Amino acid sequence: MAQVITVTSGKGGVGKTTSSAAFATGLAQRGKRTVVIDFDVGLRNLDLIMGVERRVVFDIINVITGEAKLNQALIKDKRVDGLYILPASQTRDKDALTHEGVGKIIEELAKDFDYILCDSPAGIERGALHALYHADQAIVVTNPEVSSVRDSDRILGVIQSRSKRAEEKREPVKQHLLLTRYDPVRVERGEMLKLEDVLEILAIPLLGVIPESESVLKASNSGNPVILDNESTAGQAYADAVARFLGEDRPQRFLEVEKKKGLFGRLFGGRAA
Amino acid sequence: MTAAAQQHVLPGADAFRLRAGNFSILVLRLLDGRPEVVLPALGDQFRRAPGFLRFAPIAIGLDDLNLTPAEVDFPGLVAGLRALDIVPMGVVGGSPALRQAAAAAGLSALRPSGAEKEIEPAPAPVEAAPPIPGPDFRGTGRTAMIVTQPVRSGSRIYAEGADLIITATVNAGAEVIADGNIHVYGALRGRAVAGAADNPEARVFALNFDPELIAIAGFYAVREGLSAAPIGRTVMVRLDGESLRFEKL
Repeated sequence: MAQVITVTSGKGGVGKTTSSAAFATGLAQRGKRTVVIDFDVGLRNLDLIMGVERRVVFDIINVITGEAKLNQALIKDKRVDGLYILPASQTRDKDALTHEGVGKIIEELAKDFDYILCDSPAGIERGALHALYHADQAIVVTNPEVSSVRDSDRILGVIQSRSKRAEEKREPVKQHLLLTRYDPVRVERGEMLKLEDVLEILAIPLLGVIPESESVLKASNSGNPVILDNESTAGQAYADAVARFLGEDRPQRFLEVEKKKGLFGRLFGGRAA
Repeated sequence: MTAAAQQHVLPGADAFRLRAGNFSILVLRLLDGRPEVVLPALGDQFRRAPGFLRFAPIAIGLDDLNLTPAEVDFPGLVAGLRALDIVPMGVVGGSPALRQAAAAAGLSALRPSGAEKEIEPAPAPVEAAPPIPGPDFRGTGRTAMIVTQPVRSGSRIYAEGADLIITATVNAGAEVIADGNIHVYGALRGRAVAGAADNPEARVFALNFDPELIAIAGFYAVREGLSAAPIGRTVMVRLDGESLRFEKL
């Protein structure tokens, strides 16, 4: 049975698309046939982060309106086997998504894939509702700051009440917390919320903590999901999160301030790469 | 309670809110189905007690009428009562056929919530009215609504006619409302409105008291005004006259 995973957050700019790209890539690296769908119709970004923007011919709206077949719109990743991207349309808006259209696409993909990742747009309106409606599991991406936590709390409530599972009174959507852009230095200074505080408010299981890292921006700009960067702490943290998602037991890393920084590091005060 | 306070309890939300309310209402028990008999008699009564029935909402009691629907002129009665400035709201009791005929004249069947009291000068009934079949919410044992999941930002829970017990946190941006007491066995960070059906005896209990707003029976306090309250402690809130009291437990 294919699992539909929605990556969502409520708030914008917290790292949904980065996390979707990394997670989808990580699942494919571990041999799972994975497709990642960009639901942010009108603000297409996932193709950039995945580095396939020059190969987009058709998009999800073309499939919904019947202008293209699903396999014409799917873009195969060249780096990792079994990884496909279904891009959003940049020229349309979220009203072009229909309930039946999305349902049919998910149904068709479910025959062929192990995991269907839905990269949700920000907000709690139409686009986000389409992205979460079919979810079996949800990864809620949150930054350690008050507004992000509150919006995540809101979207958790929306998932509980507006998903297909909720409507059909089935077992509720399994929810995971992915805390991104975590900066232990700023947490220690009291400028960011502590992991424990976020967990206490949201009260869902923790999938992983992704440390703030310059490699994320670099990866985005170059179109390489950060999980492919084995050197970066963020990449390693995403790999841990994917492993945990698949049932492996891995301890949390990157929660503490790096104590043993060399002379070079101290001189330049750089953050973890 | 002040109207202004009530208005500000939940600002800017909806255009209306549906609430259960209990009202006493006069019951006009008919002993005759003919308007030409009932209305003049009522007119006599009306003159003897000026203002007693003017614009009063009444229910028409059908239990003493042993008639077929054809023998009762409901539209005529409604028109006649309205002409006397009496406002018929619905009917109580009677046979299903009678209630149906009344419904056709725009009189819905009312369900008494307690023992029906005799209103002078209505004539004494021969025997007590039998209970009306249909849903009865008394004695269903629902005295509290229990919520075990966190109440998330943007969600609203209303325990109608009951206490509300929450065994998780109420997060900022969430709203919990009860006609009775509210118990939060976790952190209360959202809004809590107890005694929503105007019950000044209602109280709010929270293990970790950190609310955005607290209201009891329409008297409220927002967080800004709570600086003196024991924030972060286990607290009971009650209404003392017109002010909220916060007591550490």
